[in-house]
This record gives sequence, C-alpha cells and structure tokens, in this order.
Amino acid sequence: MTSFALAWRTVLRYRVRSALAAAGVAIIGALLFDMLLLARGLVDSFADLLNSSGFDVRVVAHEGLPVLREPVADASRVAADLRGLAEVEDVALVRLVDAVIVGAQEDLRNVTVIGTIRSGTRSAWKLLKGTDLGAGAAQSERCPLIVGRRLAEVRGIAPGHTVNLRITPHRTASALPLVACRVVGVGDFAFATANEFAVATTMAALEAADTTRPPDQADLVLVTSRPEAGGAAAARAIGHLHPELHAYSNEDVVAQFNQHGFAYFRQVSIVLTSVTLVFAFLLVGTLLTVSTNQRLGEIAALRALGLRRSRVAAMLLWESAVLVGSGGLLALPLGGLLAYGLDHVLRQMPGLPERLHFFVFNVSAVVQHGLLLSATAVVAAVYPIWLSARLPIAETLRREVVG
Amino acid sequence: MARSATFLPSHPAENRPKHSKISCARDRCRQADYKNVNRLQKRHDGGVRFRAELGWPMGQLSDHNPQMLRSRSSRDLLLGACSALLAANVLVASELPDVLITRQLAARASLNVGDVVTLATDPDGRRAARFHVAGIYEPTPDPMRFTAARLEARMHLADLVRLTAADDDPGAEESVGAINVRLVDPADADQFRVDVRTRLPGVTAAPTARAPDNDPFGVLDRFHVAISIVTVLGGTAFLLALMVIRAEERRDIIGLLRLIGISRRSLLAAVLAEGLLIAALGAAFGVVIALAGQGIVNRIFQARYDTALVFVRVTRSIALRSIAVAVPLGVVAGLAASWTVLRRDVLSLFRR
Repeated sequence: MTSFALAWRTVLRYRVRSALAAAGVAIIGALLFDMLLLARGLVDSFADLLNSSGFDVRVVAHEGLPVLREPVADASRVAADLRGLAEVEDVALVRLVDAVIVGAQEDLRNVTVIGTIRSGTRSAWKLLKGTDLGAGAAQSERCPLIVGRRLAEVRGIAPGHTVNLRITPHRTASALPLVACRVVGVGDFAFATANEFAVATTMAALEAADTTRPPDQADLVLVTSRPEAGGAAAARAIGHLHPELHAYSNEDVVAQFNQHGFAYFRQVSIVLTSVTLVFAFLLVGTLLTVSTNQRLGEIAALRALGLRRSRVAAMLLWESAVLVGSGGLLALPLGGLLAYGLDHVLRQMPGLPERLHFFVFNVSAVVQHGLLLSATAVVAAVYPIWLSARLPIAETLRREVVG
Repeated sequence: MARSATFLPSHPAENRPKHSKISCARDRCRQADYKNVNRLQKRHDGGVRFRAELGWPMGQLSDHNPQMLRSRSSRDLLLGACSALLAANVLVASELPDVLITRQLAARASLNVGDVVTLATDPDGRRAARFHVAGIYEPTPDPMRFTAARLEARMHLADLVRLTAADDDPGAEESVGAINVRLVDPADADQFRVDVRTRLPGVTAAPTARAPDNDPFGVLDRFHVAISIVTVLGGTAFLLALMVIRAEERRDIIGLLRLIGISRRSLLAAVLAEGLLIAALGAAFGVVIALAGQGIVNRIFQARYDTALVFVRVTRSIALRSIAVAVPLGVVAGLAASWTVLRRDVLSLFRR
C-alpha cells in the first residue's frame, strides 16, 4: 500500500475532523486568495479603465493626477500643436464642471457635465441608446446631451427629452441661467462614481453655458499615441513641445496611483496575506500534531510491521497535502464569492468610478495561492513527521498496551 | 455631529471677501474662533507646503493639539522643489521672520532650529524672502494622505501675504482662502450654512464633519468587519476539528465516569466550565498578541511612510468585542464536540 493510500484511509477514517479541517483551510484559503487578488486588483482594474477609453496620454496644466487643479489655457492651439506631433494620432479636449438638474421633483445635485470635442468610439462613455453627440440630429442641437444610465433611470429620461441644467462652478455660489439641453442619447460613463450623475455635451455648448470661465480652456487634454510610438514616447514628445504642461502616459498614471492612491490596500493585502498564512500554518500544524499524537500507537505498529520511517513521513505529508489541498481547491470558488461580497463593500467608497473593482481575477493569484498553500502544507507537516521519525517503537507499543 | 463650519473660497481674485468685513451670522459663531483665519495658497506638488495663520502664537503652532490644527487649513501654497531655495546660514537670524518646518522637511533639507532659509514662490527664485527657522514640528498625521511626503512650513499670515500677494491683485492682502468657524452649538451647522449663503452671497459654508454615506473610513470599517467575520468562521472550523479530536481522546475517561454513575448533565457542566476557562484564557492571550502586534505593525508602517500616524490601535472596546465573540464560540465548540461523545451509549464508548 502506498503512502498516499495510507493517508487517504486515515482521512476517511476520521471523516468529521478531516471535513472540519478542510472547511477551515477552505475559509482561510478563500481569505488568502482574496488578499492576493486585492494586491493587484485595484491597479489592474484602474489600468483597464484607463485603457478602455482609447486614450493613452493625459495632459494637464499642473503636476499630479488624477486631481485637476488648473485648466489648460488656449486649448485649441495646444490641441493643434499636439496633432502635429509624429507620435500623436488623436487629441481630445475635455472640460468638467458641476451642475444641478432642475426638475419638477427635487433638484438633482452631484451632476458632472463633461464638455468634449470628442464623441464616438474614443469617448468617456459607451452609447446605450440614441445617437452620439456628433451624429445625426445632434449636430443641429444647441446643447445636445448624453445622459448617464443611472440618471436616465432615476429621472426616466430618454432620447428626445429636455433636461434643464444649471451650471454651478466649483466652490462658487453662482446665479447662471438655466440651460435647456436636448437628450440625444443615453450612455454608460466609464469614470462616473456611484453617487454621481454624469452627462456629456459638446465643448461649445458647455462654454456657452458656463460663462464664469474664459473660453477655450480645457481641464484635461486626452491624447492617443500612434501604435508604433507608444504612450511613453508621446508623453515625452508633448513634454518637449509644451514644457509648461505635464503629460502622463497611462503607465505613469497607474504607477502614481499604485504608489499613492493604492498604498493602503496593498499594505492591507500584505499584512492579511501574512497573517492568514501564519494562521493556516498554526492551525493545520496543530491539527496534524494532535492527530499524530493520538495515533502514535498505530504509527508504532506500522513501523513494527516493517514500514520505513520515510514511508510514515510520506504518509503524514500526504495527510497534510490532502487536507490543505482539498481545502485549497474549495477556497477558489469560496474566495470568488467572498471577493464579490468584499468588492461590493469597498466599492461604496465615495468618489470611486463605478467600474473600478478591488478584486480582479488573475491567473498569477491562483498560482501564488497554490504555491503558498503547498508551502504551508509542507511546513505544517514538519513537526508531526519529526515526532513520528523519532518514535521509540517498543516503548510506544508497550505504553499503548499497558495504557 | 458637525463641530464647526468652514467658509470655502468662492470668488475670483478681484472680488474675494475681505475677512475683516465678515461678521458672524446671527451670533452663532464665536468671535474668538473667527479670528483664527488661515491663509494658504496652492502651487506645485512635490515642493514645500506653506501655511500661515492669524490668531495663534507661533509657540502654540508647534504643539500637536488636533483640535487646534483642525481649525486651520484652507488654501495651500505648494512651492515646487526647485522653487524652494533652502539656503541655510546662521546670520542675522534674530531680525528675520520666523518659520516652523516639519520634521520631514528639516531632515530632507538638513535644517536645524536657528538656521536661516530662503523661500521663493517662483521656480526661478524671484519673490524670495529669508526666514529664521524657529522650530521643527511633527505634522498632524492625516490618514487621507499618509503616503505623501510632508514637506511643510508654517509662518505668520502677514509674512505669507508679503511673500505671495500678487501685484495685480489689490485685494490679495485682505483676502483669505477660508475661515474656520467653531459654532456655539454644533447642531446649528445647517442653519448657519443657510445664514451664510443668505447674508454673504458668493460665500459657501460646509460642515467639517463627513456625512456617514460619504465617509471612506466607514467603508473601511465595514471591510475590516467582513474580514474579521471570515477569520472567525475559519477559526471556528479549526476549533471544532481540534475539539472533536480532544473529545475522541477522552472517550475512555468519559466512559469510566459514566460507569461510576456520573450523569451526562454533570459531565456536560464540567465540559462547559473547562471550555469557559480555556476560551477565556485563549481570548485573553489573543488580546495580548494583538497588543504586542500593534506595536510592531505601527512601527513598521510609521517607518515605511515616515509618519506619526497610528495604523493599528487595540482599544478596550475592540478587545472586549473580541472576547465577547471568542469566549462563547469556544464554549459552544467544546460543548458541540463533547456532545458527540457524551450522547453515545456507555458500552459504545468502550467500543463494545
């Protein structure tokens, strides 16, 4: 009989304890798996979000992203300059402003208006219904509007409706007149937060509505680099052309985010991964040790029958592997469910884009999870193996019989 | 509950409110607190952040009274690293205006108390002034930006105005970025906001307290509670497994005790008492480990981020909550495992 068969029989013989141990490993393993997902999840999700917009360089007037502090002046000229660069394929100007939607019911605050010269495939929204800003009848509208899905649901807005907007410049009590905008489409805004209502219109319409700011300003200039050049090269070229501006490739933005915005969760992930591993090692080790102590007579009998030390050691190692392995396998689906719940909790964080996730599945997390649990199984089996290896056979059997 | 309200800047430079003309709305704010006006202006990231204030003697600024610090900041002046020309020397220090610098800035620029530094608002060094380093302080830890290097300095408001006021802005010397107000009755925060909006068009007031649904720390709290629940569930499964092994080990003894006439109820009571004792000891040991661990975790992260922020704190309430969860769980696990043996027939305990 092989060592694995012996171990398997032991596991089956003590079904309840084996099932409980596997359940414990599964729960702790699920937590471990989730912490491994958390270690990269937010960064991966953020990178995915940035890349999905179709732009790979962001140009702002001041250092530091994603905070927008000062607008880019003379934006049209800047855009024209950037379009002339060999590394640049496309340029879009974006202006952001807060607004209130006035309605028969309660006024809706938390409305962000995006003014842009860009629509279609490379835009901050995915069109769900109606037409895009630059298409069809929208071209003739004075203030065409794409409204976010959530806003459309809350207010029952559909293409063809009119929405009355009042621009409320940041931290300024203004009395700007209402602007009647015609809804041309409903879209899913990539960067909209859960408690924010996003709408988009043309840059010209926004400039006409927000007279508190000079025209031809942009808060953000979005650039698509040519595939053969790449974002980093385009950012460098923009920096040379306009040293007063700051250009960040998507990789730069993700790196900044990873260093500052994500630091807390990375540390939480490291601490909890370590604690979980120690916890799993202690519990599996204790369980195996107690179980081995209980079966010393049995092990001594096996040794007396001629089983070598190495086979007994292998049997204990297999026992550990079966417990940790079965628990570890169960941990993956359990971890998926747990990640879903924890992600739901963390996504209630104010100011986060709705599409951002903290837990993102990746194969490397599964591999790490497997390696860490395997190491735990081996380390946890060391002490029981040592106990069985130095077991005095005759004395143990005598004690067993007399006892 | 809001403790105070903050005026936020809302005007273009030409018509900013003059702090000397703002009066308290309907006597809801204390005049003394109103005088604690801050002036801060913002420039580049990565440089030195300057704060200036009225109403606090410079000596007080160096302590870490969180209540005092809460009533300060408004607009920030961030000078680019290259624009902060920190030239230390030891001459004519007594005639120069004082400045306080953070421990981190002192370490980065190799500055000591008594040194003279030159600060400039422009990257090319124009608009520079010399200051005497009067003290070095530990900045109040801010959990929202603990990864940021705290290169900051504090100076008297008049000095900052001289350093930063734009020549083409006649109102610059009389304007402030924000006014922090402590209300007589914090419950009046909403009404005070309405009063300010009515009496001072163009000035907006906002309470300093976060709404519960807009508090990131509330979310983190819920996340940690969820993690704790999962850990407790995993621990319970292991505990049950251990208890089952332990009960199996004692099967013969339990059989003997049953044979000599001790009732199941008495044995269960004994298991209960034993379980209670072990669970209480285990829970107390867990609290001791947590107390020891918090020091290690705090030291590691404080060193990593060069901050005085406390990352882990085992409070009495947390310790009591842990004990309140661990002890009943331990007892129940012990009882459940023992019951699997106790409920058996006496002879079956001897494998007969």
